Amino acid sequence: MEPEPTVLDSLRKAVDAMPDDVPLRLHLAGLLLGAGQQDEAIRQLGAVLQRDPGNAQALSLLRDQGNQVLQGSESEQAREAATGSGPAQQYDWSQAEDELRDVLPAMFVGEPAAESSSAGLDEADAYDAEHASLTLADVAGMTEVKQRPEAAFLAPMRNPELRRLYGKSLRGGLLLYGPPGCGKTFIARAVAGELGARFISVSFADIIDMFVGQSERNIHELFEIARRNAPCVLFLDEVDAIGQKRSQLRHTPMRSAVNQLLLELDDIAGHNEGVFLLAATNHPWDVDSALRRPGRFDRTLLVLPPDAAAREGVFRYHLKDRPVAGIDLARLAGLTDGYSGADIAHICETAAEQALLDSVRRGEPRLIGTPDLESAIGEVKPSLGAWFDVARNVALFANEGGTYDDLATYLRKRRLL
Amino acid sequence: MELRKELARASAMLDVRRFDEAAELLARVVAAEPDSSRAWCLMARAHLGAERYGEAIEVANRAAALDPSDEWPHRLASNALVHRGHHADALRAAHEATRLAPSYWQTHVCVAQAALAAHRLEVAAGAAARARALAPNEPDVHFLSGKVSLARRDLAAAREHQERALALDPTHSGAMNELGRIRLRRRDTAGAIRHFISAARATPDEHIYRRNIDVVILRTVSRTIYVFTLVALILIWVPAVARLDRLPFAIGLGVLGALGAGSLGWMVLRLPREARLVARRILRAPRVAAALALAVGGVAAAFGLIALTPAVDVAQVLPIAVVVTVAVRLAAFAALRAAARKR
Repeated sequence: MEPEPTVLDSLRKAVDAMPDDVPLRLHLAGLLLGAGQQDEAIRQLGAVLQRDPGNAQALSLLRDQGNQVLQGSESEQAREAATGSGPAQQYDWSQAEDELRDVLPAMFVGEPAAESSSAGLDEADAYDAEHASLTLADVAGMTEVKQRPEAAFLAPMRNPELRRLYGKSLRGGLLLYGPPGCGKTFIARAVAGELGARFISVSFADIIDMFVGQSERNIHELFEIARRNAPCVLFLDEVDAIGQKRSQLRHTPMRSAVNQLLLELDDIAGHNEGVFLLAATNHPWDVDSALRRPGRFDRTLLVLPPDAAAREGVFRYHLKDRPVAGIDLARLAGLTDGYSGADIAHICETAAEQALLDSVRRGEPRLIGTPDLESAIGEVKPSLGAWFDVARNVALFANEGGTYDDLATYLRKRRLL
Repeated sequence: MELRKELARASAMLDVRRFDEAAELLARVVAAEPDSSRAWCLMARAHLGAERYGEAIEVANRAAALDPSDEWPHRLASNALVHRGHHADALRAAHEATRLAPSYWQTHVCVAQAALAAHRLEVAAGAAARARALAPNEPDVHFLSGKVSLARRDLAAAREHQERALALDPTHSGAMNELGRIRLRRRDTAGAIRHFISAARATPDEHIYRRNIDVVILRTVSRTIYVFTLVALILIWVPAVARLDRLPFAIGLGVLGALGAGSLGWMVLRLPREARLVARRILRAPRVAAALALAVGGVAAAFGLIALTPAVDVAQVLPIAVVVTVAVRLAAFAALRAAARKR
């Protein structure tokens, strides 16, 4: 039975209001198929797979839809079959995929076909992955970025005798800053991996939870956990949220939370062995200057948009579990200069979506190729413009004491200053 | 869902300017607790922070309907209405907030803001004075009082208020910016730029300060071109009136060119180091470079026309030279205006 158009309209509105509600979308897609509105149904199913890539019901509906398309195109063959040579066979997608698997071309240009299956991929090239034992070697490209924690943090840590000889202190933490979506958290994890330490990550949501109730006690408890788990890296993500300039927090309870954070940092610097502090922020200029004094977050590391090698790594990572063939990573990396890691993830997502819809329309699966990604690059614009607008102001007017010299150098190199 | 906890979480998000995350959270809160006026108010504040003024007004009105005795929804609505340019409505909402909470200084600040936007300067001054009486140690009260004084062209009082705001909060970038505007009114360009730079340093993510620096530099370039072409217009009359030889005329052109370049160079050199970098960039911008080239080229063409014409025919070509000079001046101004609009 065909659904009422008003029911479909109501469901569409509900989906617009709750775009991440997968069951609701599936329901709408089912009704749309029943109403013969295949194109829209396929769009909804594509959206479901974007949110839940392995959703069995969506895949099954898409497969059924593909079969119907094929059946339509094979109707003549079917008629012939009915008159003489046996019943028309339904197209077996699973079999087709199995057949294809053996003859799949190389995933990436310059790699032998035999090694191009997902099992052959090296996770070390990944750029934005969660990994229990990440090290800086796992970060693709970004050589300059990787050198800084080595000099400021890791080499003195690994060589205690030399450290003592040169009187190098381990006090203070490392503040990673840079545009959003460029791998600050990933690098923090890699630094923790280099130290062989436990990694406690405090996200923005955790930070906000701290302010609900007794924020000072919550912050104290967090640092206590870090002390109990030493050696441990305590990573404060989006530290501008917890350590915002107190002048901007005149009338809020968060002001006392910043004071508590300062107390804890001094405690760590003074008495605690084996607790290392890392923090990340997109807006270091919003961080209270007291947090950046010696012994606190006194060392900074600018994490810039990925260089060509890193961009290749990001593409490789986001394509490794997708059906791709002949991807020219070097070309794609060249086309995405100035894109963040998150932008590149979005490009891969867009290309996959296009290929999926195209496969459904044509009734046969096809692999994602370089042209799909090139077209996606045309659609996805780099998201870092607004950040660099502010960064330019910082480099011009707020670079007191050379705090942002590395940023100014980068901006000059890119002719942004 | 524990309402108090969720509202505290949303409030904390708003304190750190995470407006979109707060709006998302509050959408869930109001879906579960649609009668919570405070939740709707926080949501209006989130929309206001994210510059979604239409939504802010709608949500604030909803909160006002739920709790007619609360002044906050009216202040929020007034603020959003000012941004939408509905100044009379904004003033009405602000007055309603004051009626509900006359001893609350924020309501008077709200009236002053709305009245200032509506150019009701006497109303704004009265409200600012009441806010100062209620909260003499609140930097924002003095900041707004200074803005009202500046609008009333009382530069001395404006400066006094902004300096008081800065004494109470040395990082108040708004007050620094206002001090720059006061300097500008006193035609102290370099002093104004210094204040704008301080403001940009304190709050680099506020683009208005950087834009003010750009506009001041562009205005200086524009004035230089104005004076340069004005002097040129006078000089091209000299041969016709005084029947001078070409040599003194050529010397006059040279002196004018040197003076023009010198005054521009002097202006740039007087600027603080940071502003010099900005000035260099602005002078190299295509539209600004085109404006300068037009002015210099046009004046040179007009002088050439006069200098190369035999003395007896100068009177005939003089109008052409005048038209050329005026035309290039207008074209240069248009190019500079376009450059300023782009910023």
